[in-house]
Amino acid sequence: MERILLTIDRLSAGVGKAFAWCILILTLGVTYEVVMRKLFRAPTDWAFDISYIMYGALFMMAGAYTLSRNGHVRGDMFYRLMPPRGQAALDLSLYLLFFFPSCITLLYFGIPYAQQSWSYKEVSIFSPAGVPIYPSKALIPLAAAFLIIQGIAEIIRCVITMRDNRWPQRLHDVEEMETAILNEQQDRARAGGDAPPEAAR
Amino acid sequence: MSNPEVGIFMLALFLGAVMLGFPIAFTLAAMGLFFGYYAMGPAVFQLFVTSTNDTMANDVLTAVPLFLFMGYMIERANILDRLFYSVQMAARNLPGSLAVATLITCSLFATATGIVGAVVTLMGLLAFPAMLRAGYDVRLASGVVCAGGCLGIMIPPSVLLILYGATAGVSAVRLYAAAMIPGLILTGLYITYVVARVVANPALAPRPAELQQHIPFSTVAWSLLTSFVPLAFLIMAVLGAILFGWATPSEAAAVGAVGAMILSVVYRSFTFERLKEAVFLTARTSAMVCFLFVGSKLFSSVFAYLGGHEVVEKWFTQDLNLNTVGFMMVTQFIIFLLGWPLEWTEIIIIFVPIFLPLLKTFGVDPVLFGVLVALNMQTSFNTPPVAMACYYLKGVSPPWVKLTDIFAGALPYVFLVFICMALIYIFPDLALGLPRWLYDN
Repeated sequence: MERILLTIDRLSAGVGKAFAWCILILTLGVTYEVVMRKLFRAPTDWAFDISYIMYGALFMMAGAYTLSRNGHVRGDMFYRLMPPRGQAALDLSLYLLFFFPSCITLLYFGIPYAQQSWSYKEVSIFSPAGVPIYPSKALIPLAAAFLIIQGIAEIIRCVITMRDNRWPQRLHDVEEMETAILNEQQDRARAGGDAPPEAAR
Repeated sequence: MSNPEVGIFMLALFLGAVMLGFPIAFTLAAMGLFFGYYAMGPAVFQLFVTSTNDTMANDVLTAVPLFLFMGYMIERANILDRLFYSVQMAARNLPGSLAVATLITCSLFATATGIVGAVVTLMGLLAFPAMLRAGYDVRLASGVVCAGGCLGIMIPPSVLLILYGATAGVSAVRLYAAAMIPGLILTGLYITYVVARVVANPALAPRPAELQQHIPFSTVAWSLLTSFVPLAFLIMAVLGAILFGWATPSEAAAVGAVGAMILSVVYRSFTFERLKEAVFLTARTSAMVCFLFVGSKLFSSVFAYLGGHEVVEKWFTQDLNLNTVGFMMVTQFIIFLLGWPLEWTEIIIIFVPIFLPLLKTFGVDPVLFGVLVALNMQTSFNTPPVAMACYYLKGVSPPWVKLTDIFAGALPYVFLVFICMALIYIFPDLALGLPRWLYDN
């Protein structure tokens, strides 16, 4: 079961990280537009469309990756006080009650929505360049599909936790700076060394 | 139950469901679907797909990943040590110089990165031990780190105001212009408070010995020129471009992100590894924020369809019989209370929209309301039980520093925020004057 779990985690992380690079295209594309418009008075007719397409692709396709990192924000005031087994039981039921209905809706009704757009090769109405936007509509059901797959992994994670009363370790990945620093401090304290905090830098 | 009553039931049920600790984006979407199906039948499924597409094509929100990316790049540019050191040298003759330097460094760095946790932990490792070593009062030292670290969510260019602009349908540019002076007033209030405390009781902040010798002006100037000035210039350039209408917030953010990359090259800290970290973190945080939008868009459409707003409006106008001042007090108090268990992203994206339709009824300028909310959100990091700033600081401080001392240290700044809010409400021109002067001539 752990093997399936980690395979799915890797899949979601792979997809999310691949689409994460959209931020670089977004940054450079928009900067190019600003430079061309302001310095050379030659605005592009595609940069605006590219900007929201890249933004949309970036966040939608990172949804499953974020879920695999437990990165979707929770109101965890009481949740954090519960034992792992309780957290897992609660999560499990809410995945079934809240998560899957929403994602399956997005997948099931997103497919015809995207199909319609593909059928006439929909292009952006904002510019004469005719930037195609039908691929980005296909991302709605696609992102939902990856979310559903990751949801299955989360269910497995909950089941393991209910068995062991301990959350299984997640794949190693880059962490927010505060999380990384706090973990480092904790390890230091656990190692027993009373190193002064500034040594951490 | 009539439809509006169902709407209120939906809101109450959602509030309860949030406390179950499940990822809020999906709780919102599911509630929207269930109640939407009750209200409008299968049409809600189509609505969910199109509203998701709307969020994906929202050209205001494109600024969110760009500002996040800029922040993550600056966070990794190795600039903070240098910055704190030079500001500390420049401020050395002021009473409580280390605390003042901490506040100034925090406000600049937090404005550039916009990531509260990073600022508090980094400054907690850098400035906090320096202050303790100099013999500063623990409460004073922890207060400035916790309060200073939060300034970044308010002072433009901040993501908070972009999100508010997107939910309230207000121009983000006007919001930025309006938040400028209040942000500076708040920073000024913080600094004044620290200086006043130290003047009244010098024992709180003894002057550190190493700063007592004479430092030539050229050393200070050079140090500022190589750390403070480049970062300040980057922020000014991004902000100036937005305020003077040369670029949209997204465009300015993109150029700012390129500037941040250049900065990290200049500081010899640009590596592919760091770029990758920044790219992946940007993707995760963007997904977190924007999925909240996806969920809340459906939720709020269904809430509006059911007519829940009418009930809320009736409460405020008839049952509570409020005037404008009362309305402002009650709503800001509710937002303040929500800041105890929740973080600002959820409050801005989910709860603030509930009050927005009422602004017209009470004749409140949505820009002014936004600035007050942004100020109010400063407190959400420093009010227990979910006082994230205090926990971050506790996590990096020596074991003998008590969490209660950190709470006590951060508390006065919560009151300073209230004073600032009252000031802005009584003299709204402090916020609205700048946008009017810039855009309405």
